[in-house]
Amino acid sequence: MKHFSGISHITTLIILVLLFALPAGILVMVSLAPEWRYPEIWPAQFSFKGIWFLVENKRVILSSLAASFGFSLLTVLATLLMCLAPASVFARTCFIGKPLLEGLLLTPALVPPMTFAMGLHFVFIKLSVADTVSGVVLTLAMFSYPYMFRALVAGFQTMGDTYRTCAKNLGAGSAAIFWQVELPLLMPAVIAGGNVVFLVAFSEYFLVFLMGGGNVASFTGLLMPLLSSSNRSLAAVLTLIFLLLPIVLFVIMDLSLMRMYRKKGMV
Amino acid sequence: MSWINKGTTGLILKLSPLMLPYLVLFCGGVFLTVCQSAGIFTPLPHAGRALDAYGLILSDPSFFASFGFSLGVALISAAGSVIAGTFLAYRVWQLPAKLANAALVYKIPLILPHISVAFVVLIFWSQSGILASLAHQLGLIQAMHQFPNVLYSGWGLGMILAYTLKGTPFAMLLVMALLVRFDVRQIQTAAMLGASGLRIFFTIVMPRLAPALHSSFIILFLYSFGAFDIPFVLSESRPGMLSIHVYNLYFKHDLARRPEAMAILTIMFCFAVIFIIAYTKIVTRLENTVRKL
Repeated sequence: MKHFSGISHITTLIILVLLFALPAGILVMVSLAPEWRYPEIWPAQFSFKGIWFLVENKRVILSSLAASFGFSLLTVLATLLMCLAPASVFARTCFIGKPLLEGLLLTPALVPPMTFAMGLHFVFIKLSVADTVSGVVLTLAMFSYPYMFRALVAGFQTMGDTYRTCAKNLGAGSAAIFWQVELPLLMPAVIAGGNVVFLVAFSEYFLVFLMGGGNVASFTGLLMPLLSSSNRSLAAVLTLIFLLLPIVLFVIMDLSLMRMYRKKGMV
Repeated sequence: MSWINKGTTGLILKLSPLMLPYLVLFCGGVFLTVCQSAGIFTPLPHAGRALDAYGLILSDPSFFASFGFSLGVALISAAGSVIAGTFLAYRVWQLPAKLANAALVYKIPLILPHISVAFVVLIFWSQSGILASLAHQLGLIQAMHQFPNVLYSGWGLGMILAYTLKGTPFAMLLVMALLVRFDVRQIQTAAMLGASGLRIFFTIVMPRLAPALHSSFIILFLYSFGAFDIPFVLSESRPGMLSIHVYNLYFKHDLARRPEAMAILTIMFCFAVIFIIAYTKIVTRLENTVRKL
């Protein structure tokens, strides 16, 4: 198409980089230059103070990172268990009130999560579920499951019924069909939904603070007070970890999925 | 024969892993919020009448100021994100394959948590930030205070910037998912028939993208309307976002004011539900009139 020349493509890329990559680049510089002040456009000196802070406080940082990682993965698992069977029903059967029910089931991702979480908080305290990991996971799963649900319904729809029928004709029981045929085929959808649920859970601050009540350590909880501190390089270092960790996780997931598919001869 | 046949029982059983938590935790949670707004199940026994909390809130002008403010911030940031996201997604879609990988940088703000995005806005836009330094080097300002006070203007500009930065890639993601399935030949035909670039975008591409635009707008609008994380980092004192108002009533005042916090949450919930219903109704009606053409 003639009206989209090379220059306009380059402009698009420059806009994207300025909007979305420059902030990450600036974060790297802030983390390496704690003394970077107005009106310097380039830091006068670099130092590794921010990185040293990381090393000195590695126990606190690692434990809150592990906690965040742990409850986020548990949230992914919880949403998966909640959504698997219902998603197969939604993809395969028609019943009265299905569109209405689907709409209702998607609302928790839309309405402000505060509105149900703060109501639950009091009861969670009474039941001593508040201030525990299970309380945090339940709350996070409750407003992030729609992403898993949508992904799984789409996954079941793409898969269709043919594999299932074929396996049944070959004499497979329903457990074998699920574990050996459907779940492997569904993995891309599980990973797609799981990535979103993981990110939502991993980056949430308020609900973890509310339901964890300070007992459940979290990475966002560690980061929050540093954001307004005078030393910005600490917050920048932690934010960069926030950026890298999910990317590493996603790459590992994709690679292991590819390996699994190759092993099973599905590629 | 009972009215529940075997198929229905199986259906209910298969749906139960989702329906049970939905009913108990989500519906139950909302129910408890409504109850506590009326003074039932509150930590302290409620002395007044059931609707006292609503009376207090609705007679407080600062509530309406907060409500309007939240609405404004949410509306501007969601509309901005959807417009910018659609435009950028369209441009990225047209990139040649060689450059398409470089465009993946747009996913960076998707991964960053909201509080980190707020931090990025702080670094760039504060009066001692990167942009102020840049303005100084360019000779536009001589001292810090001459740089526009973007973050504390009273207009919520900082929050709007943060929500837009976080929301634009989200809208891009949804729009891109539809564009992948879009047939390029439609555009080529239109171009051959002499349609301009703008005409192609608005009459051919846009209607196809409508579902993604609507869902990203609803999601982003309601999120910015009720979320806590970004306002907690960037909010100005007055008028605050509703979520901050609720937080203060819940954690910083005595327990007797718990029903007020819950009443605000109930109003927010009702607003969100009414907004979803009204929006989808209007969209279906509009689409029906378009189809008749």
